[in-house]
Amino acid sequence: MNKKAVAIVLAASTALSLAACGSSTSSTGTAAATSAAAATAAAAATSAAADGTASSGAAASITLFNSKMEIQDQFETLTDTYEKATGVHVECYYSSDTVASHIASKYAANDPYTIMMVDAKDVYSLGPQYAADLSSEKWVSDTNYAIQVDGKTLGFPFCVEARGLMYNGDAIKKITGEDFDPTKYETLDSFKELLAKLVAGGMASPVGIMKEDWSLGAHYFQEVYEERDDVDSFISSLKAGTEDLTKDAKFNSLMDTFDVLKENNYAKDSAISAERETSEMKLAQGDIAFMFGGNWDWAEINQYDYTDGIGMMPVPQNTDDGSNTKLVGGGSKYFMIDSSDATNDAERQAAKDFLNWLVSDPQGQSFLVNDCSLVPAFKSNTLAVQDPLGASVKQYADAGNLIANYNYDPDDHYSKVGASMQKYLADQIDRAGLATEVEDYWKSVK
Amino acid sequence: MSYKVGIFMQFAGVAAFCFICVVILPLFYGLYLTFTSWDGVSKTKPFVGLANYAATFADTDFWVSIGRTFFYSFFAVILVNIVAFLLAYMVTSGVKGQNFFRAGFFVPNLIGGIVLGFVWKFVFNRAFVAIGNSLNIEAMKNSPLSTTGGAMFCLILVAVWQYAGYMMLIYVAGFMSVDQSLREAAKVDGCTNQQATRFVIIPMMRTSFVTCLFLTITRCFMVYDVNLSLTGGEPYNSSVLAAMHVYNQAFTYKNYGTGQAEALVLFIICAVIGMWQVRVGRKGEVAA
Repeated sequence: MNKKAVAIVLAASTALSLAACGSSTSSTGTAAATSAAAATAAAAATSAAADGTASSGAAASITLFNSKMEIQDQFETLTDTYEKATGVHVECYYSSDTVASHIASKYAANDPYTIMMVDAKDVYSLGPQYAADLSSEKWVSDTNYAIQVDGKTLGFPFCVEARGLMYNGDAIKKITGEDFDPTKYETLDSFKELLAKLVAGGMASPVGIMKEDWSLGAHYFQEVYEERDDVDSFISSLKAGTEDLTKDAKFNSLMDTFDVLKENNYAKDSAISAERETSEMKLAQGDIAFMFGGNWDWAEINQYDYTDGIGMMPVPQNTDDGSNTKLVGGGSKYFMIDSSDATNDAERQAAKDFLNWLVSDPQGQSFLVNDCSLVPAFKSNTLAVQDPLGASVKQYADAGNLIANYNYDPDDHYSKVGASMQKYLADQIDRAGLATEVEDYWKSVK
Repeated sequence: MSYKVGIFMQFAGVAAFCFICVVILPLFYGLYLTFTSWDGVSKTKPFVGLANYAATFADTDFWVSIGRTFFYSFFAVILVNIVAFLLAYMVTSGVKGQNFFRAGFFVPNLIGGIVLGFVWKFVFNRAFVAIGNSLNIEAMKNSPLSTTGGAMFCLILVAVWQYAGYMMLIYVAGFMSVDQSLREAAKVDGCTNQQATRFVIIPMMRTSFVTCLFLTITRCFMVYDVNLSLTGGEPYNSSVLAAMHVYNQAFTYKNYGTGQAEALVLFIICAVIGMWQVRVGRKGEVAA
């Protein structure tokens, strides 16, 4: 009796708290009018599922969750276009919540999206439970970036993103007098010479460094893991505590480069309070020539009065493993299609059709490249990428010069290792201290 | 009996229902979650017994953040109350335009913590540095937010700026509630103005002190918004206060059970300190 009462209380409280979550997120998602429409659509969907009727005929309406907020407007225009072309209504939501917890709350409320845009790591963690198998779709053979889990294709790659050293070619040309050719500066030695030339030519400190923990930890230090043949065994020996980072060639090579960047940082004396916006502005305007980042930084750079000739190159290193000729990156943001009973087969088919349309229809291709300025993940999409950073990425991607992302970091990795990198950046610890902190972190990972 | 229940339901039923739904039930549900290894996302919530409490006690980062919170609260509480009391004293002393000053000092409290954090971040990172550069003061050329001690100093300073006005209002109410006849009587008995304040007015205002201390202590221990937007835990996670650590543990690092257990520990610490402080404060209360 008592247990029953407790169970009821618990159930009631869960239902209440989740119902609250559900309603608040959907109202933040879209304007009131559209959410009302969506509510009826969702109601229709659930009632269809409740009836248990087998799907017959095409679904008229599906929902899509967009976790790239900056392209929400483009998405809404796209879904209008899609509805005109095919008659299928795609209702597009967004949220600033953490993607995984937002998706989880929708599932808990039994009101999942038909298509949801998630990060790569979410495909591995949520996919096996929630995502439909897309292995037989046409587009699978058209991309190198789809995510397979246990032999099933679960993630549709939305775009390609990569990390590297961003440069402002115009600013460099102004001083050196010749066109900037990044392939000449693949080694750290040649890169140092160039920096010296820039300093002599009047650019006192040609480098910017983002002090954000995600940039230092999850983007720069991450390459220590990624730029080697067997990432998994390296990580497992880090976890086992048998790895001595100070003796690791890749760690030293990347930190050598980091030291050079640090030495030439425009905010050298206050590296830890440098603001990302200021650094991006300086790069855009050519006050500095180099900054480590990725093609997503274009969204910041294009806010400023940028000069042409911006691009991205591999991080220069004195190495012969070829990693100094490649960017690091791959698919970014993945679509999953809901496999639960809350979505019926007709809706699932409509979702699959939408993804196919996005890949193969000229309007879908143009949406990604022209409207959103993203780098397509599909070979058949040959439109020229609009933004210069993206163009660099596409150039490396097309030539097969992308080192794959490592997507299995523990969730606190970026924060803990990022903090250690910040200490290193602020000269609070030396390289041996950094190595020890990172080794200790990995040993603490279960 | 049923009559009493009926009366209770009639007057307090709705409020009690809401309170139970949004405070009591989540509290117990949270308690239940501390016994699971739920990651905040998956469908299953495996039962793990007391493992999360063991993890809480083993989590050095958590205890460091608790220690930091004590340090922050200690200074913030004292400074907030001193400043608030002095402000209240001044704006009840009959100075010209005192209502204007009261409103002015209260305004910071109307700005949300997140916005406040961003505003002050700008002040520390830009204005402070600009002044340092133009006056050529070496110590002011770098943002205080970039050093460990500086970030803590900034957090305390902003807390004082934010809460002093609100606490001032409570002290003002305290001053006003003491009847003027008492001060006059004290003066007739030969007190100076200061002596009257010190020995008559302040003891009569004891409730105000108890209230203000309680409010500032609990707020300081629970602070999250200013912490998030002003320092974000930086530099190198050295300004992560307890609430932020709990949030990160539960939502960012996806250890929901452990985060919940740590939240419970934080709650108990706050409750104990708060209740002890109120008990001690109430003991010596006097009435006219």
